[in-house]
Amino acid sequence: MAVRDVSAYSVVHAVVRGLYSKRLSPDTWEALLQAEDFEIVLSLLSKTAYGPYLEGIPQDQVTPRRAVYQTRQRLADVYGKVIRLSPDRARELLLWLWRLYEIDDLKATFRGIESGATWDRVRFLLYPRHEYALLTLEDLEEMVLTGSVAEAIQSISGTPYYDPLSHALNRYQAERSLFPLEVALDLAYNRRLWETLGRLRGQDHEHAMQLVGTLVDMDNLLWAIRYRAYHRLSEQEIINYTLPFGYQVDDDDIRAIAAGADIASIVRRLYPDLADLAALEQLGPGGAAPLESLEVALQRRLVRMCYDEFVGYPFHIGIPIAYLLVTEYENRDLVVLIEAKSSHLRRGRFAPLLVTRSAVTSMR
Amino acid sequence: MFRPETMKKVELVVPDSIVVPVTEALAASHVFHPAASHLPQGDHTAPGGEDWREQATTFANLERRVLAVMEDLGASEGLPPDETPHLIEPEVARVDLERLEEQVEGPVRKLEEQQERLKGLQEYVRQLQTIADLEIELEGLRNHRYLYTLMGTMPTVNLQRLRSSLDIIPSVLVEMDRHGHLATVILFGAQRDAEILDRAARSAYLNPLDLPETYRGTPAEVLEALHAGIERTRRRIGEYEAAIRHLHQARIDHLRHLLWRIRASHTIVETIARYGQLRNRYVVIRVIEGWVPESQIPVLEKQMADLSDQVALKTSAPEKQDEADVPVALNNPPLLKPFQDLVTNYGYPSYYESDPTLVTALTFSLLFGAMFGDVGHGLLLVVAGVLLIAIQSLRFPRSLRDVAPLLIACGATGIVFGFLYGSLFGFEHLIQPLWLRPVEGIQTILIGTVAAGAVLLSLGMVYNIVNALLAGDLSRLLFGHNGLSGLVFYWSLLGVVVGRFIDPFPIPSGVLLALAAICGAMLMLDEILANLVSGRRPLTREGWTSSLVEGFFMLFETGISLFSNTISFVRVGAFAVAHGALGLVILILASRVGPAQGAGYWTVVALGNLVLVAFEGLIVAIQTLRLEYYEFFGKFFSGSGVRYKPLTLLPREQ
Repeated sequence: MAVRDVSAYSVVHAVVRGLYSKRLSPDTWEALLQAEDFEIVLSLLSKTAYGPYLEGIPQDQVTPRRAVYQTRQRLADVYGKVIRLSPDRARELLLWLWRLYEIDDLKATFRGIESGATWDRVRFLLYPRHEYALLTLEDLEEMVLTGSVAEAIQSISGTPYYDPLSHALNRYQAERSLFPLEVALDLAYNRRLWETLGRLRGQDHEHAMQLVGTLVDMDNLLWAIRYRAYHRLSEQEIINYTLPFGYQVDDDDIRAIAAGADIASIVRRLYPDLADLAALEQLGPGGAAPLESLEVALQRRLVRMCYDEFVGYPFHIGIPIAYLLVTEYENRDLVVLIEAKSSHLRRGRFAPLLVTRSAVTSMR
Repeated sequence: MFRPETMKKVELVVPDSIVVPVTEALAASHVFHPAASHLPQGDHTAPGGEDWREQATTFANLERRVLAVMEDLGASEGLPPDETPHLIEPEVARVDLERLEEQVEGPVRKLEEQQERLKGLQEYVRQLQTIADLEIELEGLRNHRYLYTLMGTMPTVNLQRLRSSLDIIPSVLVEMDRHGHLATVILFGAQRDAEILDRAARSAYLNPLDLPETYRGTPAEVLEALHAGIERTRRRIGEYEAAIRHLHQARIDHLRHLLWRIRASHTIVETIARYGQLRNRYVVIRVIEGWVPESQIPVLEKQMADLSDQVALKTSAPEKQDEADVPVALNNPPLLKPFQDLVTNYGYPSYYESDPTLVTALTFSLLFGAMFGDVGHGLLLVVAGVLLIAIQSLRFPRSLRDVAPLLIACGATGIVFGFLYGSLFGFEHLIQPLWLRPVEGIQTILIGTVAAGAVLLSLGMVYNIVNALLAGDLSRLLFGHNGLSGLVFYWSLLGVVVGRFIDPFPIPSGVLLALAAICGAMLMLDEILANLVSGRRPLTREGWTSSLVEGFFMLFETGISLFSNTISFVRVGAFAVAHGALGLVILILASRVGPAQGAGYWTVVALGNLVLVAFEGLIVAIQTLRLEYYEFFGKFFSGSGVRYKPLTLLPREQ
């Protein structure tokens, strides 16, 4: 078994180790945080692994949105490469991890259709594609060109996204809100992700559960809190809009939040390492909670778990997943940075939102 | 035959005023492969004031709209017209199209409304059928004073969640029916909890049965009314379909003409948009760049000279830095066409790569024949191939006729191996084997085919070395995993294995192991050595530790790949054995059906052989393709070339 694991994961592990060393260093982050404007950010990034991607922008199209798109191109390439090199048994879960971006793309496409945006405007809000994408750019363009959410959904029949969307369409048409469509997509996506996770065995299952399970927990917990504190949904609605499974966060926790229990004490019990988080004090029952701080704290916790994956026996799916998640959060940090710098925000306004450790370290 | 056709780079300099006729003439020449210009494309506008790029977008939108109208009418695109259309003004096309859209829109929209209505009515019927036997008034069910009821459909995956969300609310959720991923349900509860129940049902995506108030009575009575409504709707649908059929007949030629003209115009403006531009204060000059086979240059020169004396044409040989852009035209005789298709299905060779079509034809046929060795079965394939070519009157599809040479070649090698194996339609006693019967010499044939596989893999690596030489890529030649180091590494390891069984072996195993170790180290350090030889610095991008770790694992991967690639050829022997064994099975079955070797016996033999040829032939073809693509091509063929695709305005010209 161990020999099989070594043979299956040796190449992807070696390549991931190589790619992992190309993360943005604390020095680079410090320089990026100190950069005066967007142009300096671009010039600093040109000397990093993102450089070749940013070079691809024609001179007359250098905008923050385009820069974000190009940095995401690296994320797509990294996903494509890791999926390609991973053994068959790991591939399905990695593919489903990638499909979270397709879910985001579908949401962006629907929003574009609702606002009457042209394809040129929508295009660079989407994630770039790689060879494993289910929806091509042409598919998404066709959706935008229909000009109608209902027709757009019809155009993707045959994909796993169609069934949940087609059934939620009635509510969209009755309420003229994208909320039911987006929630239906999120729930269906997480159910498939969980099923895929359940098919893994042995070390793969253990490590994937730790990381992907934590990711699912994080979303589920934040949804429950958000639905209660911000959307003021009923107990039954919160239960129906959340997931009945999780790694550390189980159904009873979600039900307790839905029923009005003290959120801070539930979070403290679930994550004792976050017990000192100041934001928890404001997470009272029914209170409008500063969810942003809790979200960032949970994301940092996940990133720390990803870094820890790189210590110890390496021939399992945990290494590629950990690398992809770290890259994703680095990419999200870059998006925050680029948008903040192009809007001339002060460092104190956006730096607390950065997640990856190197970014956090450089803030000290 | 071993190299793609020699290409020339062509540069045409033309005044802007004749750019459209020049582009049309280039398309008519059927030899010009356009390339993006290295000069700036400028902001020059097309007639009508639009930028060429914008005009291309306009034509793309117009094409989409014409296709939408054709789809509404159920009209196909039809064949392209005989005469190549000229550029049309976008405004003219738009006005024409809008008129057509207006005519079609009315009946199509009404038809869609009725179809939607029919779907809704059928959905009501499906849901109501689950409670058809209930003797209650539906409006009563809707308007109870104390009882809350809600009937509808919801995703089955949400059922359990909805039930559990209502744990503390007095309620019952009854599942009446399932249809795919949806369930028909009725939710009962107390009227005082109506708001909670409504919100819970909505959040579980329970879509209520929204029966119009006009449908009253018991479920059975409502169903009757619904069926009557369905009948009426179907009649209306029939009427609108007739109107659309009439429109189809009246407008089809017009629509097709417009579609092809817009498509040709789209190609013209899209091509022009990629031309370079030189301008001074008074004149705008367009610079058109592309590729033409050397043999066709006179054709193009004559075409341009006939068109205008204002066209300046310059040709030059491709330079090394053009490698990625030079299109590749393969130049093989028609008999090799199906094998060329196998190659291009994988990818086009780059301009400086050799064309592997001939070697593919030989290896594909040999591998197929070795797995499918039977004189009779091979003969059947040959006959099928000859018939496909000879009987033109049967009008086989062109794609099927193209396969004929492949069938003949594979059949012929099947016959040769049939004689080697001594097999004729599964009978193993009619002819003496020139080599051995696979079922009687399993070990020999398995070892033999693995050895043949090693030869084929080595041939692939030699091919890669030749390609590296042609491309002048020294590092790939010396240190590539399929270059000289890889080849010597492979042969050394093979030598060590073979030496175990042959005594005395001419080369001592110590020497072979030392050679393998040296070449292994070169493979591990390939990136560093390549940078050293080519003078690139730094020697490693990722740092020494990272490079060495990655190099070690890549060497590990190379070793495993070479081993698995070689062992993969054991399937050739296994299929040869299976082919013989299946032949025997047919004979055993036939003797059970007709022990006296009468009509029953020969019927089973004939049918069994036909099934064997059809199914096993297909499986063997797939296995052969797999060996060619993954084991053989993977060693030398990048498939990164660009196909030579002359500019055309209509698809039939390609």
